[in-house]
Amino acid sequence: MSILETIEVSKRYSNHLALDKVSMKVEQGEVFGLLGPNGAGKTTLIRMINQITAPDSGKILFFDHPIRESDTTNIGYMPEERGLYKKMKVSEQAMYLAELKGLEPKEAKRKLEYWFEKFEITSWWDKKLEELSKGMAQKIQFITTILHEPKLLIFDEPFSGFDPVNAELLKQEILSLRNNGATIIFSTHNMASVEEICDRIVLINKAKNILEGRVEQIKQSFCENIFEIITPKTEMLNLSREYEIIEQQTTDRNSIFKIKIPQGKNAELISEVMKQTDLLSYREVLPSMNEIFIKTVKSNE
Amino acid sequence: MNKTKIIIKREYLSRVRKKSFVVMTILGPLMICALLVVPVLLQQTGESRSEIIVVDATAERLDDKSVAIFKNKFKSDDAVHYTYSDDIEAAQKILKDNSCDAVLEIVSTSDNPPIKSFLYYGENEPGLKVQEQTKNQILNILRNSILQYDYGMNEKQIEWINNPTIDFYTKNILTGESSFNEIKTILGAVGGFLIYMFIFIFGSMVMKGVSEEKTNRIVEVLVSSVKPVQLLMGKLIAIALVGLTQFAMWVVLTVGIISFVQAASPELFAPAEQEQITVNERVITVDKLNSVESSEANELMQGLMAINYPLVIGMFLFFFIAGYFLYASLFGAIGSLIDIDTDGQQFTLPVTIPMIIAIVSLPMVMENPSGSAAFWLSVIPFTSPVAMMVRIPFGVPVWQLAISVGLMIVTIVLCVAIAAKIYKTAILMYGKKITYNEIWKWLRYKNA
Repeated sequence: MSILETIEVSKRYSNHLALDKVSMKVEQGEVFGLLGPNGAGKTTLIRMINQITAPDSGKILFFDHPIRESDTTNIGYMPEERGLYKKMKVSEQAMYLAELKGLEPKEAKRKLEYWFEKFEITSWWDKKLEELSKGMAQKIQFITTILHEPKLLIFDEPFSGFDPVNAELLKQEILSLRNNGATIIFSTHNMASVEEICDRIVLINKAKNILEGRVEQIKQSFCENIFEIITPKTEMLNLSREYEIIEQQTTDRNSIFKIKIPQGKNAELISEVMKQTDLLSYREVLPSMNEIFIKTVKSNE
Repeated sequence: MNKTKIIIKREYLSRVRKKSFVVMTILGPLMICALLVVPVLLQQTGESRSEIIVVDATAERLDDKSVAIFKNKFKSDDAVHYTYSDDIEAAQKILKDNSCDAVLEIVSTSDNPPIKSFLYYGENEPGLKVQEQTKNQILNILRNSILQYDYGMNEKQIEWINNPTIDFYTKNILTGESSFNEIKTILGAVGGFLIYMFIFIFGSMVMKGVSEEKTNRIVEVLVSSVKPVQLLMGKLIAIALVGLTQFAMWVVLTVGIISFVQAASPELFAPAEQEQITVNERVITVDKLNSVESSEANELMQGLMAINYPLVIGMFLFFFIAGYFLYASLFGAIGSLIDIDTDGQQFTLPVTIPMIIAIVSLPMVMENPSGSAAFWLSVIPFTSPVAMMVRIPFGVPVWQLAISVGLMIVTIVLCVAIAAKIYKTAILMYGKKITYNEIWKWLRYKNA
C-alpha cells in the first residue's frame, strides 16, 4: 500500500501554471526525494500534501483514501522557510505545536522531555527562543516536527542552516525515523545528500513530473558505458578506434583514463590495455545524481 | 473547533501574561484619575497671590459731596489681594522697592468714558487672569455705584441684578425623568472615545501578531496543522478577550474606587429630593437640584444614577465588540500583507480614515445628538461604534438602533470573509510587492 499518491494534480495561479497533471507515488517506509529546480512547483506540491492549498484538479490519496483534514495529525512538516515564536519559551511553543497536531498535553510533555534528553538540551526548557542560536533553534524546530510521531514526514531543505556536525546528526535521525517505520519526503537541491539517503526520487521541472524511480535504477538508466581504468604511469594508450578516451589524468604514480566503449566490449578492452601496461583498477562510471539532474532539466527545456 | 480553542488559549495567555498588560490594567484607572486630578492641583498651587495697591483718585475731581467710588470696594481672593492708598507716588515707590506686584491708579476725566485706570507693574507683568479680574471689578463697582446713587437701589436689589438666578428644569414628558444633559454628553463622549481607543489598541495588536507570525515564518508550520481561517479567528477572538479582560479589570477597579469614595462621603450618593412646585394650580414634581443643600458633586452623582445603564452598557459592549471585529479583521488582513521589507502603510491609511472621521466629528454629534449628521454617522458601520455611543445616553429611537446594529452585523460578516480571503493567500507570500490589483484578484478566486 502506498502512503501517498497524487493523481494528475494541477494548480494554476493567476499568471502561471504551478503544477501540471503531476502523478507520483510514495511507498511506505522509504525516503523519497522530491527534486527540481527553483520554481518548479515543489513547494506548491508540498503545500497541497499539507492541505495548505487545494489542487484545482486531480486527487491526493493518503493511505488510499482522499486526503482529509484529520490526516494532518499523521503528517509532520518542516518547511524551508521556518521559524518559531521569538518571545515564547521553547518548551511552551513545542507543546503548543504538538497540541495543534492533536497530542494530549501530558503526552506531548512526556515526549518532549524524551527528545530534550536525547539531544542533551534539557537546560533549554525554560529559555526563550531569542536566547538560542540559529542552530539551536533548528534543533527545536526538528523536534517539533517529529514530536507527534507522524507516519509521513516532509522535510523541505532540512540541512540549510545546520553546521556539518548537526547536519550529520540530523541525517542520522532522519534515517533512524525511517528505520522505525516512518515515511519521509525529502525536498532538496543538495544532490549529494540525495544519493546518500534517498531510496526513490521524483524530479519535477516546469510543473511536470519528468523523472521518477529508484535512485540506483535511474543511475543505471543514465549510464553511458563509460569505464574508468587506472594503470601505472603511462604516456598514452593505443586503443582501437571503437574505444573513445574521454578524459585522461596523470598523477605521480598512476594514469587514470575514462573510456566510452561499445556494449559488451569490456573483455576486449582489458586485453588491449594489458598488452601495453599493467591494470590496477577497472570500474564502471555511473553518473552522479547531480549530473542526471542537470542533464534531465536541460533536455527538458 | 478544538484547534481554534488551543490557538485562542495561547494567543490569550501570551498577551495577558505580558508585563505591559498587567501594568496597563492596574495603572489605567489610576492614570485616568491622575489626569483629572493633577491639573486641578497644579492650578491651585501654581499661582502665588498678587498684591495690588489701589489709588483711587476719582474723588478729587468730583465736588465735595461725592465719595471715592472705588476705595475699599475691591474683593480680595486667593489670587489677588487689594490694599488702598491715597498717595500715588508713595504707592509707586513701594512698587519700585518690590514690596507689591502692581499699583492700580483710577482717575476720572472729562473725556468719554470718564473713568480711566492705569495698572503699573514692576518686575513681572501680572497675569492675564489678574488683569481681567481687576478690570471686571472696576466695572462692577462702577455699575453698582451708579445703581446705588443714581437709581437708589438697595444692596439686595443690586445683588439680584448682578446675579439673576432662575431654576431651570428639563423633564422627559414620557418617562417623567429629569434629564442631565451635561452628564450624558460626558458619558457618551467617554464611551465613544473608549471604543475608539480600544479598537485602535487591539486592532493594531492583531495586525502586529499576524505580521509577526508571517515574518518569523512560523505561519507555514501552523497552517500545516490548522486552517488559516482558524488561525485568524483564533487570534481575533483571543485579542477580543484580552480587551474585554482589561476593560473588566478597569470596571472592577473603578467600582472599587467609587465605593471607597461612597464609604468616605455618603452624602454624595443621597437620592435626590423631590420637590413639588405649584404652577397655576398644577403640581409639577421635579428632582430638587439647585437647592442650597445639593452640592455640585451630588448633582453629578444624581446624573450618573439617572442613566439607563442596562441599555448603555449593553450597547457599549455590542459596539465595543462589533467595532473591534470590524476593524481588527481588516487590520489582520493588513498584517498578513506586511513582509520584512514591505510595510503596511499604504493599506492601513484607508482603514483608519473612517475611524478618524468618527472621532473628529464627535463634537458635532455631541452638540446635536439627534441631528442628521449624528444619524448618518451612527448608522454607517465604520463610524457607528463611536457615534452611536455618544448618542445612546440621550436616548435613540429603537428603529435607528436596529438599523445600526443590523448594518453592523452584516458588515462584520463581510469584512471577516474578505479579511480571511486576503489573509490565507497573503500569509504565505514572501518577497513580492502586493498591490491593490493583486488583492482584488484574490478576492475573486473561488478557492484559493
